[in-house]
Amino acid sequence: MFLDLFMEGVRIAANPLSVTAALLGLAAGIVVGAMPGLTATMAVAVLAPFTFLMEAIVGIPFLLGVYKGAIYGGSIPAITINTPGTAAAAATALDGHVLARKGQARRALEMSLYASVIADLIATMVLIFVAAPLAAAALKFSSPEFTMLFIFSLTMIAAVSGRSITKGLISASLGVLLATMGLDPMSGQMRFTFGVTDLMGGVSLVPLLIGIFAISEVLLQAERGVPPIDAIGYSKREPRVTWADLKGSARAIFRSSGIGIGLGALPGLGAEISCWIAYGIARRRSKSPQTFGKGSVEGIAAAEAGNNAVCPAALIPMLVFGIPGDTITAVLLGAFMAQGLLAGPLLFVKHGEVLYSLFALLILTNVMLLVFGYVAIRYLRKITLIPSGLLYPVVTVMCAAGAFAVNSSFFDLIIMMAGGVLGYGMRKTGVPIPPLVIAMLLAPGLENALRQSLVLSGGDISIFVTRPISAGIMALLLAGLAVIGFQSFRARFSSTAKLDESLHLERIKGKSR
Amino acid sequence: MKRTIVAFLASILTAGAVSMALAADFPDKPLRFVTPYPPGGSHSLHAGVITTVAEPYFGQPMISIIRGGGGGAVAATELSQDEADGYKLLFGDPTINSLRPQVEELPYTVDDFVPVARINYAPAIFIAAADAPFDDLNGMVEYAKANPDELVYSSDNKNGFTYVAFEMLKLKTGTKMRGVEFGGGGPAMAQVLGGNTMAYAGAPSVVGEHIQAGKVKAICATDYERWQTLPDVPTCKEAGADVIWHFWRGVLAKKGTPEDRIAKLSDGFAKLVEDKGFLRLIGKINSRVDFLGAKDFAKVLTKEQRDLKELYDEIQK
Repeated sequence: MFLDLFMEGVRIAANPLSVTAALLGLAAGIVVGAMPGLTATMAVAVLAPFTFLMEAIVGIPFLLGVYKGAIYGGSIPAITINTPGTAAAAATALDGHVLARKGQARRALEMSLYASVIADLIATMVLIFVAAPLAAAALKFSSPEFTMLFIFSLTMIAAVSGRSITKGLISASLGVLLATMGLDPMSGQMRFTFGVTDLMGGVSLVPLLIGIFAISEVLLQAERGVPPIDAIGYSKREPRVTWADLKGSARAIFRSSGIGIGLGALPGLGAEISCWIAYGIARRRSKSPQTFGKGSVEGIAAAEAGNNAVCPAALIPMLVFGIPGDTITAVLLGAFMAQGLLAGPLLFVKHGEVLYSLFALLILTNVMLLVFGYVAIRYLRKITLIPSGLLYPVVTVMCAAGAFAVNSSFFDLIIMMAGGVLGYGMRKTGVPIPPLVIAMLLAPGLENALRQSLVLSGGDISIFVTRPISAGIMALLLAGLAVIGFQSFRARFSSTAKLDESLHLERIKGKSR
Repeated sequence: MKRTIVAFLASILTAGAVSMALAADFPDKPLRFVTPYPPGGSHSLHAGVITTVAEPYFGQPMISIIRGGGGGAVAATELSQDEADGYKLLFGDPTINSLRPQVEELPYTVDDFVPVARINYAPAIFIAAADAPFDDLNGMVEYAKANPDELVYSSDNKNGFTYVAFEMLKLKTGTKMRGVEFGGGGPAMAQVLGGNTMAYAGAPSVVGEHIQAGKVKAICATDYERWQTLPDVPTCKEAGADVIWHFWRGVLAKKGTPEDRIAKLSDGFAKLVEDKGFLRLIGKINSRVDFLGAKDFAKVLTKEQRDLKELYDEIQK
């Protein structure tokens, strides 16, 4: 029955128009994703109305291709010029760009591609085979569970804070502060808006991130004058991903895929958060955590698998319940509706064959992503050879266009520039940027979930332990914290022990003298 | 040669004449259609459909602008401070244009906008979770009376569509229920489906499929008549509480826009909603047309604004 449906889907999908549309979408998506400032959401939102007049089996694969391509494409500038093309690729830049600076751009780009494709494939399989049960499980997640999940995710800040946890916390606090601006979600009160109309909606996330990541990089490059990266030059024998690299990262890829699928299936958490959590956990579980942030291919693999797995998984709640998890699936939901494919419990019954043909096309675009990426990487790594004087002005223009286009707002350009100055200042003072981003992404969700939980329970905080899933996450969280605490205690203890020992030895020496 | 020059001059003259005629005309440059919510969601979907087919009916392209923020308040505020020339149109709804400026401190008022055309509306359908201890409105009211504040329902935002629907119901039935604001229709619906809350009220396009699939129980619809795609769901009046609450989607312009321009825009939309392509697309997105021109829309709007004011005065007592 299931196989019949799937084969029927493959048969419908195997027509030149659908395949061409999917591939065109994929190529367009990679380009859009690779342009700093242009986001996947925007690309899909702009292109969606064009598909209204196409057939479902042509228009939807096109949009899905764009979505997929854009999420992958974001990693290209993240690696080559330290400017994530999309917010979801921000974690990739940490290790990817360090590698590129070492003249290993190709190795980084390839690892990002392989991790993306593998994670995407795993998540697509999950979508095809266990969408319904997974979606039903996701519904069991209510505000208390989300609260715990958000708190758990916040602990990732420790993993990306670099050497100084104090500076990490400064950065995170700043992120929380920025996130609280705007309309109070529950009472409708204005918070920290200073009477500025444009701040009523809060600080727009995408323009701010564009500023913090991209504009600050431009400022730094401008300051340095001659960019060191050009000097690396182009060697024919550029290192590539080796079998050992892949083997060493396999665990991270599978783990990150799992994280991405889980977070994707829960409405409200997207690829932007998933990449950080996947990265943080990978670092914690890695055999060589000290290499993270210094050019670890495992880190790239974890971040990229973490954000790409979200993409098929986010379709699960959208298709099964008609509930979009983020803005991009909200736009896709609209495109589905415009095709008469009303997402929800009856979709699989009414339009099974169309749906399975879409799944078949998802797998096809994934394979094609591998091919496209493989060919493209040969040329893309040369981006690092473009003189900065030419490259960065172009980047700046695209950033401005992207920041403006999110909300058609002039004020967002101000936010972008302010973000650029902030990011520049943080990099100069060694305050890490990732904690700010993570805090800003998580704080609104945490606040809402916490307040909703307390309304649900009538102000009783025991709701967090009386619900099994919530209690489970809390136990996991406490266990994790205990392990970290124990490890750092042991590390300190053993180092002081060593110190004592050496002091003791010196004393002995002194006595014997 | 001479003939070419004459033809050339003639063409310049006609071109001049045409452009002068156009200058007297409105509109002579593209119109902007502002959706006050982020992309995704039914508002931007409707905007996409409207702007796609608009050009022949206004003689100018209509550009769709997505301007989210503050639950619609950002776009409304900006438009209220814009020029009153009829080129920028707000794709409004009852929360932005009737309710929130009256009950919240926003930088604009309900009188900053004048109605142009209502495109359509949808009622709220009250639903209950599959495992809720009641099956219809009477049962729900009895339960709420027997267990004050124990009936927990999914709400969207403070002063949002669902929020108001429940405030109306609570006032009409004299009950106490507890709402949790989940920040949007999607998550609110997910919480009812997961059995984490007992009830919700949402547009037919959101709840319809779940009712048909038997995943939730339908209680009643906040309209004068039963909704055509859900003929088994009674109106709230039939079920025992006279609650009327429409989520309309309509076009508004800034106050002070010349009346002939409003009339022209209103006529343009009247023709637009009869366009074949428009009707096909609007059917596809599971929506429909309940057109009202500027004058009729104004009457509906005035009544709604008065009713909502009374409702909130009553609640706050």
